[in-house]
Amino acid sequence: MARVARLAQRIPIVLMAIFIILPMVAVLLYSFATRWTSNILPDGYTFEHWIDGFTDARFAAVLVRTLLLAIACAVLDLILVTPAVYWQKVRNPRIRPFLELAAAIPFAIPFVVIAFGLLALSGRFAPQLQGTLWLLLPAHAAVAFSFVYWAVDSSMTSAGVARLSEAARTCGAGPMTILWRVVLPNIGPGIASGALLAFGASFNEIALVQMLVGNRFETVPLYMLNLLKGSNADFNLLAVMTSVTFLVTLVLSIAVVYVNGGATTQLANTNPGRRETQ
Amino acid sequence: MADQLSFGLASTRGRSSHLRRFASRLLVWLADWSMALPLLIVSALMLVAPMVAMFAGSFIDGNGQMSLVNWSDTLGSVASQRAIGNSLLLGVTVATITLIIGGPLSWQVSRMLRLGRAFSLGLLNVAANFSGIGLGFAFVAALGTYGMVTLAMQALGLPFSPVSQSSFWGMVIAYEYGNIPLFVLLSLPAMSLLRDEWWEAAQTASATRWQFWRHIGLPILMPLMLADWLLIFTWSVGMYGLPLALVGSAPRAFRLITVEMGQSMVGSLFGVNHVPVYAVILMVIATITLLAYRLIVRRAMQWLV
Amino acid sequence: MSSITLRGVSRHYGPVVALDEVNLEVEAGEFIALLGSSGCGKTTTLRCIAGLTQPSAGRIFFGDQDVTDVPTRLRPIGMVFQSYALFPNMTVRQNIAFPLAVRGRRGSEVERRVDELLELVDLVEFAGQHPNQLSGGQAQRTALARALAPSPAVLLLDEPLSALDAVVRLHLRDEIRRIQQQVKITALLVTHDQSEALAVADRVVVMSKGRIEQVATPAELYETPATLFSASFIGNRNAIELPVVDGRIRLGGAFDLPSGVKADTALVFVRAEDVRLAGEGRGHPARVESRIFQGSTTRFYLSVDAGFGPIRLRADWPSRDAASVQTGDTVRLYVDPADARVFAPEARP
Repeated sequence: MARVARLAQRIPIVLMAIFIILPMVAVLLYSFATRWTSNILPDGYTFEHWIDGFTDARFAAVLVRTLLLAIACAVLDLILVTPAVYWQKVRNPRIRPFLELAAAIPFAIPFVVIAFGLLALSGRFAPQLQGTLWLLLPAHAAVAFSFVYWAVDSSMTSAGVARLSEAARTCGAGPMTILWRVVLPNIGPGIASGALLAFGASFNEIALVQMLVGNRFETVPLYMLNLLKGSNADFNLLAVMTSVTFLVTLVLSIAVVYVNGGATTQLANTNPGRRETQ
Repeated sequence: MADQLSFGLASTRGRSSHLRRFASRLLVWLADWSMALPLLIVSALMLVAPMVAMFAGSFIDGNGQMSLVNWSDTLGSVASQRAIGNSLLLGVTVATITLIIGGPLSWQVSRMLRLGRAFSLGLLNVAANFSGIGLGFAFVAALGTYGMVTLAMQALGLPFSPVSQSSFWGMVIAYEYGNIPLFVLLSLPAMSLLRDEWWEAAQTASATRWQFWRHIGLPILMPLMLADWLLIFTWSVGMYGLPLALVGSAPRAFRLITVEMGQSMVGSLFGVNHVPVYAVILMVIATITLLAYRLIVRRAMQWLV
Repeated sequence: MSSITLRGVSRHYGPVVALDEVNLEVEAGEFIALLGSSGCGKTTTLRCIAGLTQPSAGRIFFGDQDVTDVPTRLRPIGMVFQSYALFPNMTVRQNIAFPLAVRGRRGSEVERRVDELLELVDLVEFAGQHPNQLSGGQAQRTALARALAPSPAVLLLDEPLSALDAVVRLHLRDEIRRIQQQVKITALLVTHDQSEALAVADRVVVMSKGRIEQVATPAELYETPATLFSASFIGNRNAIELPVVDGRIRLGGAFDLPSGVKADTALVFVRAEDVRLAGEGRGHPARVESRIFQGSTTRFYLSVDAGFGPIRLRADWPSRDAASVQTGDTVRLYVDPADARVFAPEARP
């Protein structure tokens, strides 16, 4: 009786799990299907699409390009955010409202708005930047920085960085030494999860890519859009690329949980800005 | 004479010390802000400036003159009205369904034991992050005309015809995919605010489960859930990649603000002057949401901490 | 008022036994304290009586009625939680009115009863406050008033004073006793503080490892603990392990006791205030290692040569009598055989 009730309680989460898993399974099957027209499962299976994809120059270039962009974005964000948050904590609390405001912008404002604004601005003041990485990379860093900000901020707070650096100062250390040798080793998980989230944000972003550089710098989401919209849409190849992005998402999610020491709940706590990265 | 001289000396000395004081104050200011300046400058250029540009752009006509023509054009066009209406309606519908399903789900996850909880959170986390074009295609692959579920249902002899992905309800279903998990992750901390002891205390006071929720559970949680509703609403209105993938080859099938903006880039010049107005509308929604969110959360927390 | 009976109540969590066949009779109107260190099963016992924890075995009766399967909300109880569990969205008044409101009492009746309770716990001017605006003591009294509101037959108190500072704790302890006598209710208090248990309860239930060690009045428990655990847990006792020679236990000239135990060694428990100063030429010599002034008494740490090595003892003497005794002095001790409790050492916890 009690067991039946407990099983009944599980029904909503099980239905949700099915809803979540079904589209993923469909994509995976498509990526291995020879032909799939009228049966529950594909007519046959093959690795051909995966081999085709990874041997295709465009496909491989798109993947490498996107990975490099996402890594650059995460690194740039760490370089920008960590000293700023550190300085706010140990030197000047008046920095905080500005950082909070800046972090709230990509949290709430759709990236399309930022994209069009940047397009208009660069067209007016710096047309030579249009279509280049020199516009796209800072833009990605700007819209992804709030993830790093929240992660680093909360890990610095919980590590008690203000008190740590006071202690280090009484030992005669200077600001850069403190940041490098005392603060950073204590906020490793925050840095790592912030970087992973920024990586994910950049990897999946399409609005800025489409508006600012377009097909001159084709990234994974743009490539998928082009395949989807193209007249001779290759659904199997699209399924391969979707599987790849799904795998990247999965690995990132697991990595974030892992670097937070298995504290899954922290995901929701420390990153109030988890959102669809459009 | 001597008075004048000394006065003159004092004033030059005053000016140079003034300068020195200004310089030293500038140095202190620079030192106070130094490490944050790169980030603040990037944010100003890449986030604030574009918003200002869009805002100003909505009030400037094709000849660079101040005017309201963009606004009257946009708000007067039936297509734009439909796009704005659709976006808002979609946002409200998605957020409301998210709240109704995600709320109880979040409660359940918050009361799970370790293993089930870790599994659920992992799954929800992946779903919340699987988004954009990939998700759009996944829905086509699952629920499209040749989608897996469609084929499966038909193979079982069921007269199943899926809702079109580019229809209103098709979009709602796809939007829920990421939004329900996101809502659960967002609202979990709120769920842990509700302490199990209160339910026990209510029981010792003879309350039924329903009475507990009516007098204690919902009054505490509802404001926080509404705040999360607002966020989901705003994010749904602002979504770009997913609807772009879903509207498929028929971009005018179901107009949305964000998709219209994107179309104006690739399509004809017609409607380009709608873009800044759409942008301002999205910014206004976002701003109101953020302010309301803070207000609601502060009110909701006032008796809790 | 209602009597409470526990018959063979057990509670297992997997392989862990939290309660092991507990039998207990509580008379109507009695104030019982469940005393023990953390994990001894005292809170589990209380939660079983409240119905918040279901016993794995055994029955629980209120009067003649078997309530084992009665859900919590239908039991005639009021409960005060360790952290009070006040509803944060309600004022003090609304919190106290809650048990009445959910029972569907009429508004005017509720108002009257709440006023009465506010008076009883002295919170009239705080009626409009929310819990997070209250001090610990005020929150505690609100929780007490809420528990008493529906005039339950049984009042359950789960460590109600543990979160309070010392002064407030003493005051509220006496308040709880006063109110229990005034409203004439059967009460069970869970505590790990022996002085609290001895002060408020008619009878104290000493628990350890999920079992009841002893049930006795505070005076009995203090003077004549029945088990080794009670002796070591209650009263500030010295535990002295000594050899048994010819059926007797001896510490020089300090004491010479008949041993009731069949063992080579025995544990002798002597309260610190029962280690007495002997006159010149009597008792047994001891060296004062340190002294700590405690107000009316002074505590002395003493080193005694027991023949096989030194033993350390604590002694509490009236400060007035012991003012001249200094660290390094040698004093002479004796213990009245009636003040010593002897147990076999095997069962030492």
